[in-house]
Amino acid sequence: MKNFYNGVLLMVIMSLLALIFPEHLLAQNVTVSGTVIDEDGNPIPGVSVLLKHSSTGVVTDLEGKYSLAVMDLSNSLLFSYIGYLSVEEVIGNRNIIDIQLIPDIKDLESIVVTALGVEKNVKSLGYAVQEVAGEKFTKAREPNLINSLTGQVAGLQINNSTALFQDPQISLRGARPLIVIDGIPSTENDFWKINADDVGSINVLKGATASALYGAIGKNGALMITTKRGSEGTRVEINSSTMFQPSYLVIPTVQTTYGNGDNGQYAYVDGSGSGTEGFGWIWGPRLNQIDPSTPSGFVERPQYNSPIDPETGQRIPIPFISRGADNIRNFFQQGLISTNNVNLTSGNEQGNYRISASHIYQKGLVPNTELHNTSFSVAGSYRLSTKISADASMTYNRQYTENFPETPYGPENYLYNLVLWTGTDVDVRDLKEYWVPGREGFQQKHFNNSYYNNPYFQAYEYLRGYHKDNTYGQIKLDYDATENLKFTVRTGMNVYALERTDKEPKSYVKYGRVSRGNFYINNSAQLNMNTDLFLSYSKNLGNNFVINANAGGSNRFIRFRSESLNTDGLAIPNFYNVANSEQPLSGSNSLTREQVNSAFGTVDIEFMNALFLTVTGRNDWVSTLPVSNNSFFYPSITFAGTISDFLDFPRPIDFVKVRTGWSRVSDGRIRPANGSNAINPYSHIQAFNPGVVWGGNPSLIFPSALINPDIQPETSDSYEIGIDTKFLRGRLGLDLTYYRIRDFNNLISVPVSQASGFTTRLENGAEFTRKGWELMINATPILRNDFSWNINLNWSTYQRILSESFDGSDRFGNILVGERTDQIFSASQYQRTPDNRLIIGQNGYPIRDPYQRMMGFTNPKYIFGIQNTINYKNVTLGFGFDGRIGGTIYSQTHEKMWWGGTHPGSVNQFREDANNGLATYVADGVVVTGGNVSFDAFGNILEDSRTYAENENAVNYIDWNKTTLNAEYTHFFDASFVKLRELSLTYHLQAAFLNRSFLQNASISLVGRNLMLWSNLEDIDPDSGVDNLQTPSVRNIGFNINLSF
Amino acid sequence: MMACESFEDLQLDPNRPVQAEPSLLLTAIEVDAFSTVQVSAALASRQLIFTNSASDNQYYGWQRASFADYDQLRQVAKLTVEAERTSNDSYKALSLFFRSYYIIKLTNTFGDIPFTESTKGEAGNFKPEYDTQESIFIQVLSDLKTANSLLTADSGDILGDIIYQGNILKWKKLINSFSLRVLMSMSLKENNSVIDIKGKFAEIFSNPEMFPLFESNMDNGALQYLDVEGNRYPFFNSNDLRTAYYMEKSFVDKLKRNRDPRLFVYADRDNNGRQLQETNPVAYNGLEGAAPLSENTNLILSGTGSPIDSRYYNDPINQPSLLMGYPELMLTLAEAAYRGWIPGDAEEFYREGIRASMEFNNISPHETEAYLDHHMNSYVTAEGLRLILEEKHTSLFMNSGWESFYNQRRTGIPELSLSNQIINPGGIPKRWMYPQEEIQLNLQNMNEALQRQFGGQDNVNAVMWLLRQ
Repeated sequence: MKNFYNGVLLMVIMSLLALIFPEHLLAQNVTVSGTVIDEDGNPIPGVSVLLKHSSTGVVTDLEGKYSLAVMDLSNSLLFSYIGYLSVEEVIGNRNIIDIQLIPDIKDLESIVVTALGVEKNVKSLGYAVQEVAGEKFTKAREPNLINSLTGQVAGLQINNSTALFQDPQISLRGARPLIVIDGIPSTENDFWKINADDVGSINVLKGATASALYGAIGKNGALMITTKRGSEGTRVEINSSTMFQPSYLVIPTVQTTYGNGDNGQYAYVDGSGSGTEGFGWIWGPRLNQIDPSTPSGFVERPQYNSPIDPETGQRIPIPFISRGADNIRNFFQQGLISTNNVNLTSGNEQGNYRISASHIYQKGLVPNTELHNTSFSVAGSYRLSTKISADASMTYNRQYTENFPETPYGPENYLYNLVLWTGTDVDVRDLKEYWVPGREGFQQKHFNNSYYNNPYFQAYEYLRGYHKDNTYGQIKLDYDATENLKFTVRTGMNVYALERTDKEPKSYVKYGRVSRGNFYINNSAQLNMNTDLFLSYSKNLGNNFVINANAGGSNRFIRFRSESLNTDGLAIPNFYNVANSEQPLSGSNSLTREQVNSAFGTVDIEFMNALFLTVTGRNDWVSTLPVSNNSFFYPSITFAGTISDFLDFPRPIDFVKVRTGWSRVSDGRIRPANGSNAINPYSHIQAFNPGVVWGGNPSLIFPSALINPDIQPETSDSYEIGIDTKFLRGRLGLDLTYYRIRDFNNLISVPVSQASGFTTRLENGAEFTRKGWELMINATPILRNDFSWNINLNWSTYQRILSESFDGSDRFGNILVGERTDQIFSASQYQRTPDNRLIIGQNGYPIRDPYQRMMGFTNPKYIFGIQNTINYKNVTLGFGFDGRIGGTIYSQTHEKMWWGGTHPGSVNQFREDANNGLATYVADGVVVTGGNVSFDAFGNILEDSRTYAENENAVNYIDWNKTTLNAEYTHFFDASFVKLRELSLTYHLQAAFLNRSFLQNASISLVGRNLMLWSNLEDIDPDSGVDNLQTPSVRNIGFNINLSF
Repeated sequence: MMACESFEDLQLDPNRPVQAEPSLLLTAIEVDAFSTVQVSAALASRQLIFTNSASDNQYYGWQRASFADYDQLRQVAKLTVEAERTSNDSYKALSLFFRSYYIIKLTNTFGDIPFTESTKGEAGNFKPEYDTQESIFIQVLSDLKTANSLLTADSGDILGDIIYQGNILKWKKLINSFSLRVLMSMSLKENNSVIDIKGKFAEIFSNPEMFPLFESNMDNGALQYLDVEGNRYPFFNSNDLRTAYYMEKSFVDKLKRNRDPRLFVYADRDNNGRQLQETNPVAYNGLEGAAPLSENTNLILSGTGSPIDSRYYNDPINQPSLLMGYPELMLTLAEAAYRGWIPGDAEEFYREGIRASMEFNNISPHETEAYLDHHMNSYVTAEGLRLILEEKHTSLFMNSGWESFYNQRRTGIPELSLSNQIINPGGIPKRWMYPQEEIQLNLQNMNEALQRQFGGQDNVNAVMWLLRQ
């Protein structure tokens, strides 16, 4: 072990020396020169010419010429250029070395994993794919693999939550894609179980045309995750990252001028919030007011932490000053993500294996919150005989935390207690002793115990536990029956067991209620088995024709069960066991089973390795539809042609491929009307739901959704066309795709008049069109032997249009046929004049609008990402920007801060006047002075003869905000933003040094993520896509060390 | 590793039954129908005020209401089907009663509503036509009569009955008492010869053999709360009720003026009065519902303003929720006697109504008699209607849904204060607008109903048939 540390020390010293003295001061006595030409004899500028085992090198000039001084004639020169095979030439006694480079066909023909785990040449694909290499995920770490994909892939939108252990929202061409790990679909969508260190690559199959072979679950494209295997030789790799969260990217700011209370008054009585305590508002008296008559010199008031006069039992007033200006920062702590992985790989010609162990520890911003994520995996492949080979992988993953924070709006949310509903007269640090003395276990100590929780009490006593064990893996056998015929069987499983517990202490405040103490426990488990069998036939038919065919079948079976149990009050405080329930326990359980059987086949015909035609077909039999409608077929056809193999393009154009494809995919799973991903396989069965239990009497209710007993699968026809080009010898690549998806015969919940007895009916109907453009540009503006700069840009658009409604109606809900479906409607707006001014009533307040109004669109106009990699000698600099432009977001933080009195904008003369009992606020708006207006049923103006005058009715400013949530704002904002997502600086240890150590590879990186934000929003990070009082957004800054030996 | 199950087996949902026993449906319907405790009605009836914002109920700014009661009518329709399947006339009678109950609730809210074509989704009718309010009332009165006559000693057992535990006679009493409420709600249509309200009222009142009525609080249509999760008093442990609801001034002043002991069980002493005796009316003060919000909150901040009595949020059982109670019936009979619809002494009913309400609120007979002896409360025929309806207003506090408001809407008693703070330019609204969903989903039928009732405009100030003299 001591040697190891010495080695590390030596390594650090050597690397510092290498930085200081980059050039070796060596004698150079021979000059070698020459010209580099391509296959047609034209010179190639910019070719890297490197002296082997050194950092000495040059690049060719515009005539393809180079010249280089060398000392050791037994050494070799390395010629390399993107898109061409590298050449190594021993110098010998030569002074002139001319080289002809041969195009590297492989570079244009990279192999990717496609549906069913079949490896294919990108050139042959008639649909868009985009591969992201595994290294992208392991340097600048995110707690979750999917977060790391942000901005990397055209057409893939990821909304990153700012809270601990919250799933990112992922959508590919507007829908949630399937996740496939080593060929096995992972439908439970647990993003946390995939350990980034084990990921070799992720290939994004962008649409149904690519993933049609997965059937229904592949309807929205797929993320094909391939895990790492061993390679020749034995190697141990250690990868360690630590990311600190030292500063905030976005954190809400509150006003510190006025404290708790209402109408400028406040006096603590008993924490009920009623009476002189001001109902829990932060519209209280001015803080820090001078009063020479008090001992402190400030105005003094009875407060929750006032000393009690032992004689009178009364609270002694204490100064009412702004102690808690930094409450938010004082409460939240610095977060941390620490990731450690060690893996061993070994292999020879017969086979290989890889063993890997990882641990991710994340410390939350909220005290006493954390997340552990541990993975062990084994993967390997082995050639059992000349005809049989096997591949297998198995991962055990455990996610566990004793406490992670709750995020929706309400007293369970830390921001609710800290930002919205605590005046800065309260210093959060004074709340650390969170029990009322003498009432430990029974009553939390807080300045208000009706509406809010002491955040420390919440962090240390309200504990939300999560323990999940995942096991997943697959075994694949390939049997090469003949040279042309191969037989494959693959079976895989995804299994988990999840235990969720909530410990709710006595006096914990929930929305509207105070708890008597409770313990909630929910256990669930899922088994998901997938088995595929298929035959592959490949034959060269001569005349440049090759045919590949596949035929097979598969079975997928999912069994899910869950049980939940909860107490009704706790007899003994803080004793969390269901046996401790004061009143009878409540509980429920469920079991679901789902199955899909399939048969499928594909035929690929290729001509001259340039034209590719692929036809696929699949038939599914599903359990999620009535048996009479449970069988359905879907085909796809794609074409890819490398035109540049047939036509002569002018010089700078190296490669042109066109591709087009069409597919039809149906889906027999019925999604819940709320759009959640939790599919109940029995949704096609009309049955009774359990109702209220009264005094031990159970009951049943008939649900409000009527189900058509003859429903059929829904279908999507996808069409796409694309072009893939490379210019300037591969230094510029451009890939453009247009897609159009027609979703028809949808399984939709059609809203119906509630007077029919139902709110919705499940039917097949309506038609939506999804469409968009996807552009990828890869450019290498600088390419020298020791200096290169690579840029990857992606840009995409997406829209979903209602193209047909149900039953010939011209609308579906609020959406008219032909309009976008992501319109946001609000039912709580105020009436406005045609030129958008507020209409104020006789009382000085705005008048409620009884009609729903369109506030904007959820989806951005476009999303983009730019990734840069700059290599200079042993240093790599990476930085990436991404963003979403357009779209509208509703900010609950903004609205509620105005409502509660903490918004800094509320500090003004009107507020001061209101505190003094004066109504001085005259809202910017108009009053109606005459005339009439009539509306159609949708709120469109039919006739309007109204006349207006400027509003002159003054109101109390505090009442204005409490009543209208400050109607000056709609609280809907432009959601556009651009982020500096990532910055990383990596130093690779010199090869020369490594040769003398036991290390094969070593690098150290300084990394940062989520570093800068450009946005018009205040107080929230629009990246998450929603604001239900979001957790502050933090910068992640840290380092990564990667060693292999 | 292939796990092939038969697809037929996978069509059986192990979590939900496809058929229901009528008793299981009845329990759920009863819980909903008898849960009538709501603060919204107390705000609109100037019994409580709210301090967290300018409430639409208190400042009369409401606009649309919902058709959610049709969800219950769906359960009732299922109960009808199950009653027929099991040939049980008792369930059939109860389903007629509940259907009438919810339809009256809906028509009181909007005016014309879908009735005959409603809850026919399973038959494919998703755009039901609206019935006129008049035809709805006529049908309901006839249905209630049928329900009463269907219930006999051998009409079948009622199981799952958490209200009357299957007592047929008590159900008949509730149905007939409810009929009288419906008839009284039509008092403005006294002279409608088609319906003959007076005659129908008298018919029920004068045939106790055929039409038994409530005879005491023991007969109340009451849901008893239990200290069990989901079965507790709806405002138990409610933060809002504890912090943000205070008594309304005119209501407190009336109770104080009448020396009404219910003041001490409805309200708590205010901050300034904390040191006073609980039975000292001086310790109780209300706040004006029509005053500016800041004026009220300032008064509370300075210690004036009684919160609602703590039992409403501290007691998990508190008091039962009444669909309809004996006190209301007595005061309805008092009004009928006052109007001359029935023979008998209005004063007697009036006094019995007060006694019943006092008893319901656990007030001793001694205090009750003292109240009745107070000159402000003595029945005077000239002031009869005002006295009866003010009593009804007092007795309906935190009970029986929106009855306190609807009785006021019908009679104008008690007077509800207005000011320039009122949101609706027309003052106290007369109804609610139809739900937004009807615009999208049943526009033609809704427009027809609006056309024939209010000249096409949907408006909270429009006067429905029931309220036109």
